[in-house]
Amino acid sequence: MPDTPILQVENLSKFFPVQRGLLRRTVGHVKAVNDVTFTVNKGECLGLVGESGCGKTTVARCLLRLVEPDQGRILLHGEQQTFDIASASRKEMLDVRRQMQIIFQDPFSSLDPRWRVTDVIAEPLLAQKVGRGEAGRRVLDILPTVGLGPHFADRFPHELSGGERQRVSIARALIVSPPLVVADEPVSALDVSVRSQIINLLLDLQGQMNLTYVFIAHDLSIVKHISHRIAVMYLGRLVELGTTQQVFDECKHPYTKALLASVLIPDPTHREQSYVLEGEVPSPLNPPSGCHFSTRCPFAQEQCSVEEPELRDMGGGHWVRCHFAEELDLSEGVFAPQFETQSASA
Amino acid sequence: MPDSQPILEVHDLHVHFKMLAGIVRAVDGVDFSVERGRCLGIVGESGCGKSVTARSILRLLPSSDTSGQILYHPAGDDEPIDLVSLDAKGDAIRAIRGKDIAMIFQEPMTSLTPVYTIGEQIMESIRQHQDLSEEEAKDLAISMLNKVGIPDAERRFGDFPHQMSGGMRQRVMIAIALCCEPRVLIADEPTTALDVTIQAQILRLIRSLQQNLDMSVIMITHDLAVIAQLADFVVVMYLGQMAEKAPVVELFQDPKHPYTQALLRSIVRPDTPPREQLHSISGSVPDPRNAPSGCRFRNRCPSVHDRCVEDPPVVEFGPQHSATCWLYVDD
Repeated sequence: MPDTPILQVENLSKFFPVQRGLLRRTVGHVKAVNDVTFTVNKGECLGLVGESGCGKTTVARCLLRLVEPDQGRILLHGEQQTFDIASASRKEMLDVRRQMQIIFQDPFSSLDPRWRVTDVIAEPLLAQKVGRGEAGRRVLDILPTVGLGPHFADRFPHELSGGERQRVSIARALIVSPPLVVADEPVSALDVSVRSQIINLLLDLQGQMNLTYVFIAHDLSIVKHISHRIAVMYLGRLVELGTTQQVFDECKHPYTKALLASVLIPDPTHREQSYVLEGEVPSPLNPPSGCHFSTRCPFAQEQCSVEEPELRDMGGGHWVRCHFAEELDLSEGVFAPQFETQSASA
Repeated sequence: MPDSQPILEVHDLHVHFKMLAGIVRAVDGVDFSVERGRCLGIVGESGCGKSVTARSILRLLPSSDTSGQILYHPAGDDEPIDLVSLDAKGDAIRAIRGKDIAMIFQEPMTSLTPVYTIGEQIMESIRQHQDLSEEEAKDLAISMLNKVGIPDAERRFGDFPHQMSGGMRQRVMIAIALCCEPRVLIADEPTTALDVTIQAQILRLIRSLQQNLDMSVIMITHDLAVIAQLADFVVVMYLGQMAEKAPVVELFQDPKHPYTQALLRSIVRPDTPPREQLHSISGSVPDPRNAPSGCRFRNRCPSVHDRCVEDPPVVEFGPQHSATCWLYVDD
């Protein structure tokens, strides 16, 4: 597919102030998103992965301006014009939201319990000044698209199962026919047997409606399944970006490698496992100096704790933030299982 | 394996909750046994009764709701104890709970009390069951914290739960569970709330402790990958009933129950072709109050048959492998 950008994120940053004491003095900042740059092409699915606290949800919220970004530009190439979401006016944001919608993680808390399904799905239309009659008709049109019968229109969220609620969330996002959809952990709250239904639905809809997805998840096997390209975040920084094949098969950042090695394989004849990452994600309030990953990285050298690496192009659209990306051999077996020895001796 | 003696046997366990809206048969006829030093996995989706099963072993549920037999074989040659017959608040179960059989709960955020330090919480469990002085208990608590991989244990001993991350809290839970060297550890979704790298650390910890302490583990999870990595023997549950039980390799390679087959097909594997449609199970788990009669999976089952309105029989496929399904019975 020709790479036509639909969304360009340039140097996006969001720092949350940390306030203490009676006078609410600002004592520091959580650098939730720190200088993040990436592009989403038309018709693709960009996966965004990382552990909790890495800033992936904050990126999603900045994209829709549900939180105000502090720095950077978010360029949305709409059908007629290009918007900078980071500085758009209220009126422009109305247009932006016709081009871009979000599916939230938890279908139990993202639907108002006092609203009927039809009102939930129609709300974006009403915000776009579509009349009630027309909105009601369009709701009935979209229900079969997400696999729900027309009788669901008059139900309340508590009458629905988790999978059905997530279908309602998807219908609400798609009702304004946006070309771009941000999905923030859309399946992690669902039962295993329902999860694959929703993934199939998202794949189907992408084909039918020519959608572009930004797909955020911590489950790497699902991200691998659905994404064309993948961005990996750690402590507010983008550490690796590339095609699914580049990130999964030819990853160059030790953190990506560790993340991949932590994925449990659902096969009892393939037990154990290359490498378990030591330690925990440091506090984003006070990230390590130099490379943020240096405190957990098995390859860390002196340079790593002093100098922060840049995100560098390795060729073929593969970007890596590591001083030693060219030299490291991250093939299997490099990582020694360190934890075993510690607990075995105990 | 040298000794495959059971340490815990569950026979025909039923837990029925009487609610205003009717009776919820949360667990309806479950049979399994846990062998010494092995790991039993119980897998199923929400509402399948896996957590209720675990709680009924420790008698954390009202007695009136539970029937059946849970035989615990204590150390030595003593007679097995039927845990169901014990008073849930009596001394007999208290001597076992936390000492012989310990449990790790799902939510490390809510299962520690916020008003005591983690050290005090570990010591409480130690001094409940062991006759140790305060000093000795503290030393043991710190050594447990070290054992579960908490760095700087002496200093963290005085921390409150809110000062720790989710992974660290789960380690504290494990330390509390392990401080009396239990013979059976029940782990109820121990890694569900955690990140993947921390999940890998915790699972590795549980496995190495199981091997080093010769402990039996009951691993309760919805994640088939956790089962594949940890369990020796698996029970698959659906809406309170046992769908299938089998040794782990047999279950993954030759699943018999249509529910097990569908679950295994629906997960994404490393070799699943990207962006292709996944297999899925139609519908969703029904409300347990409106569970179908007969086979509870029948309204979602691809091989459903007229007979399925009747209670399905248990069909044996080997000494340890059985499925509760009509599919393998000739007319």
